Amino acid sequence: MADLEARAVTKRFGGVLALDGVDFEADAGEVHALIGENGAGKSTFIKILTGAVRPDEGEVVLFGEPLAARSPRDAASHGVAAVFQELSLVPDLTVAENVWFRRERLTPLGTISRRRVRRDTRALFGRLDFPPLDPDIEVRSLSVAERQLVEVAKAVAGDPRVLILDEATSALSPKEVSWLLDLARRLAAGGMIVVYISHRLAEVREVASRITVFRNGHSVGVTEGAAASEDEIVSMMLGRRLERLYPDKEATATEAVALRVRDLRFGHRLRGIDLDLREGEILGVGGLQGQGQLELFLSLFGVLRARGTIELDGRPVKISSPRAALAAGIGLALVPEDRQNQGLLLPKSVRENVTLAVTKRFSRRGLLDLERERALVGDAIRQLSIVLSSPEQPVGSLSGGNQQKVVISKLLLTRAKVLLLYDLTRGVDVGTKGEIFQLMRNLAREGYAILFFSTDLQELIHVADRVAVISDGSVTGLLEGEAITEDRILRASVAGGTAA
Amino acid sequence: MSMQAGTESVSELDLPPVAAPGSAGRGPRLTGGRLVARAAPLAVPWLMLAALIAAYSSLQEGVLSREQLNLWTAATLTLLLVAAGQTIVILLGGIDLSVGGIVSLSTALAATQLGTGGSRLIGWAALIALLGFAAGAVNGFLVARLRLQPFIVTLATWSIWSGVALWVLPTEGGTVPESYLSWVNREALGIGAPVAVLLALVAFWIWFKRTPLGTGIRAIGSSENSAYLSGVPTSLTVTAAYALSGLFAALAGLFLVTQTASGSPTVGNDFILNSVAAVVIGGTSLFGGRGGLGGTIAGAFVLTVIGDLIFALDISSFWTPITTGVLLILAVLANSLTELYARRRARR
Repeated sequence: MADLEARAVTKRFGGVLALDGVDFEADAGEVHALIGENGAGKSTFIKILTGAVRPDEGEVVLFGEPLAARSPRDAASHGVAAVFQELSLVPDLTVAENVWFRRERLTPLGTISRRRVRRDTRALFGRLDFPPLDPDIEVRSLSVAERQLVEVAKAVAGDPRVLILDEATSALSPKEVSWLLDLARRLAAGGMIVVYISHRLAEVREVASRITVFRNGHSVGVTEGAAASEDEIVSMMLGRRLERLYPDKEATATEAVALRVRDLRFGHRLRGIDLDLREGEILGVGGLQGQGQLELFLSLFGVLRARGTIELDGRPVKISSPRAALAAGIGLALVPEDRQNQGLLLPKSVRENVTLAVTKRFSRRGLLDLERERALVGDAIRQLSIVLSSPEQPVGSLSGGNQQKVVISKLLLTRAKVLLLYDLTRGVDVGTKGEIFQLMRNLAREGYAILFFSTDLQELIHVADRVAVISDGSVTGLLEGEAITEDRILRASVAGGTAA
Repeated sequence: MSMQAGTESVSELDLPPVAAPGSAGRGPRLTGGRLVARAAPLAVPWLMLAALIAAYSSLQEGVLSREQLNLWTAATLTLLLVAAGQTIVILLGGIDLSVGGIVSLSTALAATQLGTGGSRLIGWAALIALLGFAAGAVNGFLVARLRLQPFIVTLATWSIWSGVALWVLPTEGGTVPESYLSWVNREALGIGAPVAVLLALVAFWIWFKRTPLGTGIRAIGSSENSAYLSGVPTSLTVTAAYALSGLFAALAGLFLVTQTASGSPTVGNDFILNSVAAVVIGGTSLFGGRGGLGGTIAGAFVLTVIGDLIFALDISSFWTPITTGVLLILAVLANSLTELYARRRARR
């Protein structure tokens, strides 16, 4: 019998069968990858392991004992720790307090000793070769990537028997990713069961000794990590062969410049950015993380007030707020980094989310025309093939990829012609990614101008017409056509740093 | 078909580990700006209090004396006790309006029951405190288990407890036995009983904020989902927070009767919004998660000293609420400015 074993686990949510008699096996000492498309049932399965959800049928057995976790706390006491996709850190506590939160050894007075927590955190960071991070800083002032790292430390701190890494690398830089993969291997070698969930097949194949594939609530197969090719794995995930992930690059770009940016400056994060984005063009933005790309996008969308000139369709515009950005000239619209917090109202329905920004479009004499609204939403859902049971379903209950589609449809309804897509494919599965890339190209063909930031080099290489590499707040390379290669992007990425 | 950036190819390029510009944004440290932002919520109310006391002592002799400390503490302690409970609930991200009803009921019971004499005095005092705790726990249960809005829940229970208070003691009055009053007038080393209670409260807070319950309350106020995922027993914690608020309100009532030597079925109402004001002037965020009793103490004293200062200035007493309102806005403004400053620093 395997050390961690799930037998015929079934879970229904209303009318949806999320898991249908799933079997799963993993052993101590291995990194076991769990992959599948959004909606395949991975998240539900993980929630069962961690006690957030209880199965309708079936059982989970850990080292010969039934594991029926009733809450995350219960699961933790059985030695199951998870790095959640929706991070479990408390913003107002420090890094050190978060790492040991609810596991602190108490003083005789029943209190938590900050000194001890800090010391333990330093020791833990040392043991894990953790990237440099001050344990005394409050989590609220960390970036998404840093939070993800702290989340990993927190899960490992409890010295669990089972460690679940659920899309734990989605915001990390390549260096941090390789650190985490290395850590996963080391922990497994030390006798831990590591369950590794990721959409990034390259990572999965690199780190996992075995891979279990879920599809539509079933476990459809187990393969040895390195033995299977990416093609084979993708075919298992999709149940068919994925024709291709990246659409052809078409010459959809015209000569007309939709967005011209000159000498854009913001503090020392943006040190004079110049960009020309043409109609019908997908302009990639690359570089190491935290070099000013986020600030560039936020400045263009009016969230940050940067200095410099911005022209839309040849006319200078002043963008002092997102509202102004949407209304300016041909319009600028942004898909933000943290879609759960910034782009969507999760408890609200898909319908409300899609039409929130554009209620004017279907109101007549101040009253909403619900018929028209329904039609608009229906079109949007069809156009992007969003998978849902009803437009009234809360957005929060959709899978990550479908949430992303809701954000895009919201964007399209604003009628802005310049689209700012910031790390759009983060946490999105292969199938949905392919659809999103195709959608981007279709939009470009229709004359939209797209500025596209991605942490994934392959996406930039295969999707963008040109790539602007940003380093230390300025454009250090502008690559076009055949010149867009991994090597050249990375070289341009580090160019600014060595000069500084 | 290749789908993702191979991590190997990155390491092959041998990125310089230190010179990589990424390291500048990575690994933030506790800089001066962050320290300022962290200290500000506590510094603002205490500086405000210091300024008010300085102004008052320029008009009045012997302000910086033990006597004045005893006087001010006695005048502030009722509000401070209520505000201590309110701090806990606001840290949680909630609000407790029922404290008004609980204070009233507590004084009404004290003024009618304590006087029956003898050993029953202590029994009744303990019972009143317990009632406050239980009343608070009911709020907590309604908020945590039935997921009702704290504002509405505590508004409703405020009304209920106010009604019960009127039933117990229809008009102001009743008597409080001498034996009970006398403990307030005790002094040791020139320090009165109210100051001793204040010190006990401070000691309680220093202990409480580091307990699992104390951090659990802050965590829920900061992010309830994260707290739950981290294993905080959320329902129990919420219930405990409201119960503590009820307990503190009852204790406030028990102290208040020593000052007035009588009970009142409506006296608690003055403390509802003033306790919130003391908490907010004290720098605790109404969104929860940030702040603590350290600031609330200053906030409560600010409200007392304003009144005395206005009196010493010999201007009409309607300036007291006006000044209070202005200080409230200033305090909130100061907090959001430092917050903004901290965020700017973090972003750049």
